[in-house]
Amino acid sequence: MSTAKENVEPASLDPDAKAELDRAFEDLYRAHLRDVYSYAYYRVGNPHDAEDLTEQAFLQAYRHFDRARRESDGRPLRPWLIRIAHNLASNYYRDRSRRPQTSLENADPIEARHGTEAIAEGREQLRQVMANLDNLADDRRDALIMRFALGMDNREIARALGRTDGATKVLIHRAIKQLQEEMSDE
Amino acid sequence: MSEAQRLSGSTWDVEHLLSDALRPIEPPERLSGRLEDTLSAVTQAAAEELSDWAEELSESELRALRDPRNWVRPVFAVGAGGAAAGALVLLEARRRGRQQAKGGLRSLAGRVRP
Repeated sequence: MSTAKENVEPASLDPDAKAELDRAFEDLYRAHLRDVYSYAYYRVGNPHDAEDLTEQAFLQAYRHFDRARRESDGRPLRPWLIRIAHNLASNYYRDRSRRPQTSLENADPIEARHGTEAIAEGREQLRQVMANLDNLADDRRDALIMRFALGMDNREIARALGRTDGATKVLIHRAIKQLQEEMSDE
Repeated sequence: MSEAQRLSGSTWDVEHLLSDALRPIEPPERLSGRLEDTLSAVTQAAAEELSDWAEELSESELRALRDPRNWVRPVFAVGAGGAAAGALVLLEARRRGRQQAKGGLRSLAGRVRP
């Protein structure tokens, strides 16, 4: 993925306003870098592309930050940021016709259990749940990543996916139910 | 949670498994540095571009730019520039089309000859 450094919002504000905007963006960036990276990682499945996607997401966010802040009416900007990453990830697959290859390197097995057998069993369950997650429809999988990897609530997920709260609740419920059924069948 | 609790009958506690599988991932340290460098570079480039542009304009030009009556001219100029660019693209496309047609026929002829 190439880095598009062009088309970033120019310094069209007066210097004080620009400095304040940059400080606010820095706060946003520090607060949500892990969220955006985690989302990108689970979407694209490898650290290299996740880094590129994260960089692109923040560049695009920077470009529209002033407007987003004005229009947010003080609401948190995390859903907006994740929505940018979500759209970029969708384009990424459209352009490259790829599917994610989520790795379990960073998904530690259940810590509370001990012994190699239990760890192996834990890893097998995680592998199974990740494989089934990968087979879900995109919107279901994305909603679950937002819920479980980022800890977003229904309202935040709804804003990130551009859906109503009710539709998001149903989406998540159906996604979990589908996973449950598929894992029970195995 | 024990294995027995995890699997009540044949029902998986999928939510618990998802919490284990989808843990937040710490971004590599190099990513923070890379992002900060990129953002600094673009903000600096934008600021320099704006400052160069402002320096090139005289005081009277800046005054004229602030006057809304003059805004229609740049808008028209952009429109005319766009139309001219469009016409050039069209001419170039036609020229290439003609060349390709010639080349296409020539190559077809080449294949027909013994």
